[in-house]
Parts: sequence; C-alpha cells; structure tokens
Amino acid sequence: MSLDGWESGVTVVRSRWTGLERDWQSVVVAATIIVTTDLLEVQIPW
Amino acid sequence: MAVHRLLPGLAVLGIGAFFVRAFAPVIGFNHLLLAIALGFVLTNAVGVPARLEPGIATHKLWLGAGIVLMGASVSLGAVRDAGWLVLLAILAVVGTTLLVVELLSRFVFGLTDRLGSLLAAGSSICGVSAVVAVAGAIRAREEQVAYAAATVLLFDAVTIAIYPVIGELLGLSGRVFGIWAGISMFSTGPVVAVGFAHSDIAGQWATITKLARNALIGVVVLAYASYYAREANRTDGGRSAPSAGAASSTIRTLWSEFPKFVLGFLALAVLSSLGAFSAAQRTSLENAYNWLFLVAFVGLGTEIRLDELRQTGVTPAFVVLLALLVASTLSLAVLLLAFSSS
Repeated sequence: MSLDGWESGVTVVRSRWTGLERDWQSVVVAATIIVTTDLLEVQIPW
Repeated sequence: MAVHRLLPGLAVLGIGAFFVRAFAPVIGFNHLLLAIALGFVLTNAVGVPARLEPGIATHKLWLGAGIVLMGASVSLGAVRDAGWLVLLAILAVVGTTLLVVELLSRFVFGLTDRLGSLLAAGSSICGVSAVVAVAGAIRAREEQVAYAAATVLLFDAVTIAIYPVIGELLGLSGRVFGIWAGISMFSTGPVVAVGFAHSDIAGQWATITKLARNALIGVVVLAYASYYAREANRTDGGRSAPSAGAASSTIRTLWSEFPKFVLGFLALAVLSSLGAFSAAQRTSLENAYNWLFLVAFVGLGTEIRLDELRQTGVTPAFVVLLALLVASTLSLAVLLLAFSSS
C-alpha cells in the first residue's frame, strides 16, 4: 500500500475512534486485547 | 484529540502501574489501593502538569476495558444462583438512598431541590457520572453540580479507606463484602478497587453488583427529568405541553445513559461460560484486566484533590453521610442474614 493509502487509512480509523462514545471505546480496547491473546496466542504476564 | 497530546499522561499512568506492581509486594500493601494512593500523592503533593492531563483523563477508558475483560472470569452459574436476591437488594438500597437523601435535603436541612436531587442521584447510583447525567436532565446550575460532585468524591475517598477495614474487622466473606461494596459505595472505580483489594471473589461480585446498579441510571435520569418538567409546567400554568415524540425520547434517553461496556462484559461472560477460552487464555485476560485496573486506578487517585474536597459544604456532606450510614448498615445486615452460610 502506498504512503497516501496508509495515511488515509489512519485518518479513517482515527475519526471512527473519536466518534465512538467512551464506553464503546472501552469495548474496542477489550476486543483488541482478546484478539491479541486469543488469535495471536500472546501471553500477558503479571 | 491528537495522539501526541495523550502520550505524556499515558506514560505516567503506565510507569505508575509498573512502579506499583513492583513495590506493592515489597511493602506488603494491596496493589490496587497503592495505585490510588500513588495518584493521590501525585496530584496533591506534586500537582499534575497541564500537559499530562489529557492522557491521565483516559483512566475511565481503561477501567471500562478492564471490566469488559473481567467478564471472562465471571461464573454465570454463581450469578444465576444469587442474582434475584442481589437485584432485589440493589433496588431496595437505591430506592432507600434516593428517598432518604431527598427527604433530608428538602424537609430537614433545607437544601435546594436541585442540589438535593443531584446528591440523591450521586449517592444512590454511580457517583459523579450520575450527578452529571441528572444535572443535564434537570438543568442544575454549575455550582450545584460542582458542590454535589465534590461531596460524592469526598465519600469515594472516605469509603476507599474505611470499607476494607470494616471487611477485615468483621471477617466478611468475599461474596458478602463484594455485594455490600457494590450496593452501597458510590463510584465504580472505588468499588472495583476495594472489592479486588479484599479478594478476587469480592472484586467480581462488587463489579457485577455495581454494573447492575449503574444500569438503573437511565431510569433515574428519566424520572428526574419528567418530575422537573412537570414542576416547570405547573409553575408556567401548563403552557409547555408534552411533546409528541415522548416515547421515542424516553427510549433514546434510556439508551444514551446506559453504560454500554456492560454489554461487552455480558458478551464475554457468556462466551467464557460456553468454553470459548482455554485456561491459559483466561489467565492472560485476567492479567490484562489487572494491568488495566492498575493504570486506571493511578488515574483515579489523581482525581481525589484535597482542594476540591474542601469545597464540600458541611450540610450536603452530613445529608449524604446519614444516607450512606442507613444504606450501608441495612444492606450489610440483610446480606449477612441472606448469605450467613457462605
């Protein structure tokens, strides 16, 4: 993908993110963590 | 908001969380309460520079994400067994607190109607969030909102310190302590913190109970909005008739006030109960929410500002103290009777 493509992709993601209510942002953060631990099998240490 | 404006504050939250994780076992202090204490010291002894504020203000986002992930560790079976009793207790405590604060404010201590309503909402449902939500619905003045919010924050600070001590002195079980904290304390962050400071079981029950209580916010906002609209209508001789789209406006209000991360929590609890996660994945998610809580609680601690707490008036604080004593004592007595075998 070209640099312009990346930039417009980032802009779309950013505007979608800022358009979300904070509660939904929390759900997105949690979903991202689940995908990372579940699909990519990343272990989160304590 | 530009990401670079968030980074300094986020870095402070992250470093604070690592610091707490490393030093809490060394000094033998609960890590969640230490995180709050660190934020408290940071804001009151050093002060939070303006460039850190945007990043630190994200702490509620991390708390919400942590609560969603906690859904993976919750036993739906245990919730089903005790659910109706807890729900009844929540309704009873919310109703009692609303009533006690409203009656004391209006008829005993002579506070203004709107300030009394803000105090009642803040102490019965979900702290400052409820104060702000109800303030919008009843057109409260800014100083009334600030006064009520400061009073709620004062009791958040007091209960964070006192509840763990009472739990320890009375030797309460995890389930009883968690439900008691979730039912009677004010804001979600402190409830989660003292719950998990007691035990994992207490933390889970405290969070579930508090989420169920928070879900009532839409109903309370609607009730207050329609009460104050009727009052205004009465005083202007009925000139402002109710609008045609009242039903759809009611549903919109209920939905807009509903804490949506509860849906994420429930979805994850169902997935986990269906066996969607292995033991290793569940452990990873538990570690993730423990980190998120640490980050969130460092930020929460920075919100307990002594100069703001000093703005609390004696009378509003006394009204809320009486309501808290009534709700807290009655609910603990009922829970001890109901779960005496646990």
